[in-house]
Amino acid sequence: MSLVENTKCECGHQNAVGTVLCESCGKPLDKNDQSDMPLEMRYDGVARRSQKTNPNVIDRVWNFFSSVKIAIYLIVLTFLTAMLGTIYPQENTFVNNFDPSVYYEETYGLPGKIYYLLGLTHTYESWWFIGLLVMIGTSLVICSLDRVLPLYRALNKQQIRKHHQFILRQKTVFKRRIEGEETKWADGFAAQLKRQGYRIHRDGTALLAEKNRFSRWGPYINHIGLILFLLAVLARSIPSWQLDTYITVPDGDTVQIADTNYYVKNEKFTVEYYKDEELPDKLKGTARAKLFETKAVLYECVSSCGDPLKEPELKEVKRHDIVVNEPLKYKGLKLYQFDFDTTPRLNEVRPVLVDKQTGDTYGPFDLPMKDSAPQHKLGPFTLDLYANYMEFSIDENGEPVTLSRDPVAPAFIFTVKGPGLDPAGEPYLYFPMQKDKVKFSQDAINAAIADKIEIRVDGMENVDFSEASTYLNVRMDRALPYVWIGAAFSMLGLLMGSYWQHRRIWLRIDQGELALGAHTNKNWYGMRSDVAKALGKTGIAVDPKSLDNGGNNA
Amino acid sequence: MGKSRKTVQIVILLAVLLIGGYAIGTALFADNDKGPLGAGSEPPPFKLADLDGNLRELSDYEGKPVVVNFWGTFCPPCVKEMPEFERQYEKWKDQGLVILAINLSEDTLTVNNFVRRFELQYPILRDVNRKTERSYGLKSYPTTFFIGRDGKIAEIKVGGMTEAEIDERVERLLKT
Repeated sequence: MSLVENTKCECGHQNAVGTVLCESCGKPLDKNDQSDMPLEMRYDGVARRSQKTNPNVIDRVWNFFSSVKIAIYLIVLTFLTAMLGTIYPQENTFVNNFDPSVYYEETYGLPGKIYYLLGLTHTYESWWFIGLLVMIGTSLVICSLDRVLPLYRALNKQQIRKHHQFILRQKTVFKRRIEGEETKWADGFAAQLKRQGYRIHRDGTALLAEKNRFSRWGPYINHIGLILFLLAVLARSIPSWQLDTYITVPDGDTVQIADTNYYVKNEKFTVEYYKDEELPDKLKGTARAKLFETKAVLYECVSSCGDPLKEPELKEVKRHDIVVNEPLKYKGLKLYQFDFDTTPRLNEVRPVLVDKQTGDTYGPFDLPMKDSAPQHKLGPFTLDLYANYMEFSIDENGEPVTLSRDPVAPAFIFTVKGPGLDPAGEPYLYFPMQKDKVKFSQDAINAAIADKIEIRVDGMENVDFSEASTYLNVRMDRALPYVWIGAAFSMLGLLMGSYWQHRRIWLRIDQGELALGAHTNKNWYGMRSDVAKALGKTGIAVDPKSLDNGGNNA
Repeated sequence: MGKSRKTVQIVILLAVLLIGGYAIGTALFADNDKGPLGAGSEPPPFKLADLDGNLRELSDYEGKPVVVNFWGTFCPPCVKEMPEFERQYEKWKDQGLVILAINLSEDTLTVNNFVRRFELQYPILRDVNRKTERSYGLKSYPTTFFIGRDGKIAEIKVGGMTEAEIDERVERLLKT
């Protein structure tokens, strides 16, 4: 058991453990402190909230986070570990589905492998880095709370008549005998300080003048901002608060944005290049993009969402022409132009059926490359789709196969029934693209039926294809507004704390003996000139420098 | 005074524990979740239609050994595997083996023709717009995921397998 410290001041005030200067009269409480060096005025000498004689477990945890020294260690540690994350690119900077376990070793060799194994490839998402941030946040809250409440109390009920030791051990001090009536002199001095923007509190011949107390709250407002900022950053781990993905949308297609209820349609993607005469000489002949533009429509799914059996019902919510730096924005969702691909893709043809015997033409009919209607009725003819191929080829057994699932070389096999044909139907192989027709000799395969009918497309207006695909970067960051609010608070606190200073002047006159002490948290030069000016106007000319009582005055 | 101070301390420390615990917890959890799937990972859930239009979810088969195979008619090793899976299905289905063959977003006619040709009995599921294959991070075909009774991925096989290789893996899976 430690001895309970006697914290009662000679003025009769009972102070909390850890108090440096009596909360009431300001007399230094440390009995061993007999010097006349300037006083330590931090937090006005009040005890931190958590300072206790017998701390329990909770108090110990609390005291740990309440320490500014610990806070500084935490901040330095965070800085140092944050630096580690900048050695090699972080995993989340890679767009494509890549395998980090291979990539880092292949690209950077052994150091890369170690870097990956240590988990530094995702430093800022690692549990220990987040842990450090949480600890800094805790420290911010506890440090602030432990200091701001006692400080508020101390500043809110200041005693006007301070102990002589308190006044004369300030860093700006003035002492002199004054002639004439004490109260009258004090009245004149008070009036002058009032003109200089001070608030005056009087207690007979004692006086307290105070200015810009609000600047003391600056650091705490700054801390509130930082806490908000940190919470916002941590909030990013809440599902659906942050999104950063890429989607490919071919012209005319509507694609769902993964993990959201939104769909994007690309009505048309345009890329324009500079003409040679617009380019400087050394760039002539090179493809320099002038414009990338995606005419995009954003839809929200309103029903049948996520049901594989039904088509989702979409509602248009936003329409925007996306160009570089002008994303489509909707409720925090942003779609940026990222890349493009100008490989054309055949979507649909509208062919006609020609009866070669009569010369009659039937159709046209819609034939999409994917999921076409199983049957087409054209005049007296019926076409039943027997099979279709996206990239037609013949395998080693002579069977037709598809080599991929993209319509690179589409082919359709119809069973055709109609006048002059076998009642059971005759097969007809149809290639929508001319190049495939020739390559696979469509007419030779179709043999007999090729003389009776023909399926063909008349004119480009009956061909629908996507000229290009646009690549969009989809981003959402719901935490961002809170980050801004936090930053604004932090800035406000910083300004409050640094552009204004809290200045106080204590004064007492006892039997014609004037004792004056002044304290500020920064800019002592200004503090002294304030005092010297007020004294000068009240009839005591002093050099501001002579007020300096030593003690590292800035 | 002392009492309220204590309450404030406890409230703040609890809040820190809660928020901090959540943040650190998700970071820890994400460590395993991120990156490519591997043995021991949780298979991404899916809800897909089969050829009869019934919805099937991975969670329907909780507690059973499941083989999830991604296939397409355009991939010769996938085509070769399909009848082999059929025989394996016949062999092991009494012991609870589930085979789900997810087609790689091909069109209906193509899938139907294929299934009819090989008379496949196990469920063929239709992925839409490559959604499921993306969530499984597929890079090449075929890829087969062996999911144990504990609901975790036991093994991933990228590329085609011979029937003996399938058999051996299924046997191992059934023992889990």
